[in-house]
Amino acid sequence: MNKVQIFLCALVCITLTNCETEERFPLSKRYWDIKDYEAAVNELKFGYDEDEKLPRFNDPETRLIVTKLTDKQNFIVVLDDKELGMSYKNEVAEGFFKSWRLLTSVYTQLDRKDMYIYDQEMLSVYHFGLALQLRYFQLGNAQIKANSDDPDSSSTKSTLNSNINVLVNNYTNYLDFVNEENQFSEKGQKLYAEGISTYFTELITSYPNASYGSLKRKVDLMLKKTKVAAIKSELTSLSELLIATKKRQEAKETE
Amino acid sequence: MNTRVLIIIAFLVYLSPLFYHSYLAFKEYKKDNKNPFRRLKKFLKYTFIILFFMVGTLLTLNHTNYLNYESPLTYDKFDKITFENFRGLEFFRKTLYGNKHFAYVVTTVETDIEEDSVSVVSLFHPSRSYVYNTHSNSLELLTHEKYHIKITELYVRKIKAKLVTLHNPSEENIEDVISQMLQAENSYQQKYDYDTFHSYVLSEQKRYQKEVDSLLESLTEFKEPKIKLNE
Repeated sequence: MNKVQIFLCALVCITLTNCETEERFPLSKRYWDIKDYEAAVNELKFGYDEDEKLPRFNDPETRLIVTKLTDKQNFIVVLDDKELGMSYKNEVAEGFFKSWRLLTSVYTQLDRKDMYIYDQEMLSVYHFGLALQLRYFQLGNAQIKANSDDPDSSSTKSTLNSNINVLVNNYTNYLDFVNEENQFSEKGQKLYAEGISTYFTELITSYPNASYGSLKRKVDLMLKKTKVAAIKSELTSLSELLIATKKRQEAKETE
Repeated sequence: MNTRVLIIIAFLVYLSPLFYHSYLAFKEYKKDNKNPFRRLKKFLKYTFIILFFMVGTLLTLNHTNYLNYESPLTYDKFDKITFENFRGLEFFRKTLYGNKHFAYVVTTVETDIEEDSVSVVSLFHPSRSYVYNTHSNSLELLTHEKYHIKITELYVRKIKAKLVTLHNPSEENIEDVISQMLQAENSYQQKYDYDTFHSYVLSEQKRYQKEVDSLLESLTEFKEPKIKLNE
């Protein structure tokens, strides 16, 4: 093979092996849209080796990735925008929700002591989902009402209530983590307790009329079970909030 | 294919005859044959002249598309501006935050300081402004870009409003005011893009539209290009 042929071969090799390498995560972007979110979740789920370190809050090199991934502003900026149309917002909410469901299984690894390796990341992802679901179900119900011939009909009301019950059940599932509180680090336990306070208050404030019977039973059971002071305190507050909300609703009904 | 690699390959291919002649010249030079070396010098000269011309043409067209030129438009033509006017070429930037559907406008401010008056005009440069598709139907994107033009006009009017308050200003005073206002305009343009995230945040976009429209309206008395200075 002469030198010219070697040169041409080298050129072809460079050409074939140099595919466009896109940024793994668009960190310079202020808000991630559903496409960015979907791509990021796929990258985390399938782009990392089994034992490869995932992006986490205490790693300065990857902190920005997980911060961006759990930044609620990504969906709030669209879903809370009064200028945007309901169908568009529902589409966006659904897109985020689908990606989030995939994401919930990313940070669930346990070490050999059964401790969560990424407890803070997993809980932050969960918090992202709780805040998202509140808006997702609100928008879904608003669209059902808008598309219904008679929004006051019993069938429409039943669908709306059923959706709210699903939302309450999804929130109630968060309390299952009390069974695993010993598998969290101290920071993780604190973050978990903060989640109870923040997101359940939002839920109850948004839907004071919803049926919280099963949630109250769960709270009471978990109160008996928890050994962590911060979690106990937040569960007690939640229990009190549920009682107060129920009393307020009963008083309204008797008026 | 990575654009950088593509450029490197194009350069290597373009320069390959030069490498070949260098090799020949070096080989023959050892044998005291200086003819290939003279040929190489000549070859080198023409290769770089052509290269300089090609790179210059590319950079010039990227800056201003003279192949599809439209002279700068003043603000009074604002309502007639559509994406058809965005005639610029973009060879280097392929996406904006991963989005291929992007556009940008280029505006400038032209000033003319005379003895007793100053003329300040905002200009939109069609052949320097770019859109991914001139037939795009994206009204949101067009509106966002057109408000950049309005912001430039707003600051032009602010400049004039400020200048009329000065008493017997020197040319240096006038230039200072213009320079300060243009810096403020640049910051406002950047803030507009940041807050609206290039029109993605529609409520912010609408807020800016209201603000800019109302400020422009409040400065209607300065819409004419020329203002008379106080003596």
